[in-house]
Amino acid sequence: MSRGKIRRAFGDALGHLGRAKTRHAVSFAVLILSFLMAGLFLSLSNNLRERAQSLSKDVAVVVYLKATAAAGEQNDVAERARRSPLIASVRTVAPADAAERFLKDFPELKDVFDNLGNNPLPASIEATLRDPAEPEAPVIRLMDEIRALPGVEDVQFNRRWADRIRALRRLSDAVGLFIGGLLILISVAVVSGAIRLNILGRRDEIVILHLVGASNGYIRSPFLLEGLILGAAGGAVALGLVTLAVHLFPLYLGQSLGALQDLIGFAPLTAAQGLGLIAGGGTAGLLGSLAALGRVFRS
Amino acid sequence: MIEFRRVWKQYQKPAWALSDVSFTIADGEMCFITGPSGSGKSTILRLITRECLPTDGQILVGGTDIRRIPASKIYLLRRAMGVVFQEFRLLPERRVFDNVSVPLRVLGMPAKDIKRKVFIALRMVDLHHRIWNTPAELSYGEQQRVAIARAVVNNPRLLLADEPTGNLDPDLAAEIMSLFREINRQGTTVVICTHDREIIRRFAGRVLPLREGRTRDREAS
Repeated sequence: MSRGKIRRAFGDALGHLGRAKTRHAVSFAVLILSFLMAGLFLSLSNNLRERAQSLSKDVAVVVYLKATAAAGEQNDVAERARRSPLIASVRTVAPADAAERFLKDFPELKDVFDNLGNNPLPASIEATLRDPAEPEAPVIRLMDEIRALPGVEDVQFNRRWADRIRALRRLSDAVGLFIGGLLILISVAVVSGAIRLNILGRRDEIVILHLVGASNGYIRSPFLLEGLILGAAGGAVALGLVTLAVHLFPLYLGQSLGALQDLIGFAPLTAAQGLGLIAGGGTAGLLGSLAALGRVFRS
Repeated sequence: MIEFRRVWKQYQKPAWALSDVSFTIADGEMCFITGPSGSGKSTILRLITRECLPTDGQILVGGTDIRRIPASKIYLLRRAMGVVFQEFRLLPERRVFDNVSVPLRVLGMPAKDIKRKVFIALRMVDLHHRIWNTPAELSYGEQQRVAIARAVVNNPRLLLADEPTGNLDPDLAAEIMSLFREINRQGTTVVICTHDREIIRRFAGRVLPLREGRTRDREAS
């Protein structure tokens, strides 16, 4: 297609968009809503993935010690862990270090922590796994052995948290895919309806164009571009709104969620995801146009 | 230019729109296809423009069997012809210039050439002073002249007209027919479908009478 023909097709497409404003405004709004939902779920998923990744970085068995545990008992626990071939490294975390880490992760709880008067956090021993993907059974056996040692209050395996967050992410992805997919399908249908009405409104012109020797491509390209422009613009606006939500969410709602902010938060979309949102919008618009053209020209 | 060889056309059973129609229209000829409503005149034009295909028989346009033209290439056949309709088929919200320039824009012609050719076509139909008007601002006769300008603006080898004077009074009809005669003198093959006997009597040319889908060729005096 020559530059002149492309320019003509774009000009005609923009002309179409300028004519039936209400029809196009409705299609545009539905497209934005659809891709906004898809974008928000994508952003939520990004956040959950980041959380799961940061937890998975140091997959460890955490042994919480009783406040009354003697230094010898502490050493026995550390030694037992160190002897296991599953364990890569062992680190002792003093109650003061645990408090410092807690306040770093949850600064909004500082007042509550200070009001307690004394540090309620116990000393612990963190035993990092050699292989983060180690099957759970031998780890649990080791945990049971350690739990039986004197001075041990509790033993936890933090990979379970990572697994729970991953499961939450999968659930969020499935819900996002369902709602986003459904809305995108609706937006394709709405765009298709708007463009179909446009085509029918220009029926006389299309008949004349056919009779004076216009090719199918010449007649159809402005309608295809119309859907493409509408969809890509809808995707771009949705991307802008998602970016806005990512920045505004922590300011307005994030604090009120407290510790849950870590889970119900929005992480920025990657460049590929942003482009995907715009391309997805364009594709939805294009599919809507194709469906409309197919229906009208078949009949 | 046009050859019908034993053409049959049926839209719906059991009636035949055309029954065993054969005729030839030579290059540069002016031919009237006449007959009462429903005699098959418009069907002949629709077959020539390949808006539909014959049920049986062969149609050659410019030596090409139109059945053999793939659907995706029909536009090339239509670029070689201009068509004028009884109801003008102008785009009401577009100006005269835009209406006449449609076939040239379809060809992707540069804007400068389009302006020149549209002006020449409109001058031929004596409407160059109405170039920026919309069809609604023109009389019926003027609208039909715009339609003729649109049909000839890309110098087609063949001009087809379906009842071009059906909506016009006798004086305007004669004016339009003179235009067709002039276009024909310049070398374009002109095929006019009409049931107006007066037009045929006044403008000598070949007459192809149709009755119930059958032809009986004769020369008009």
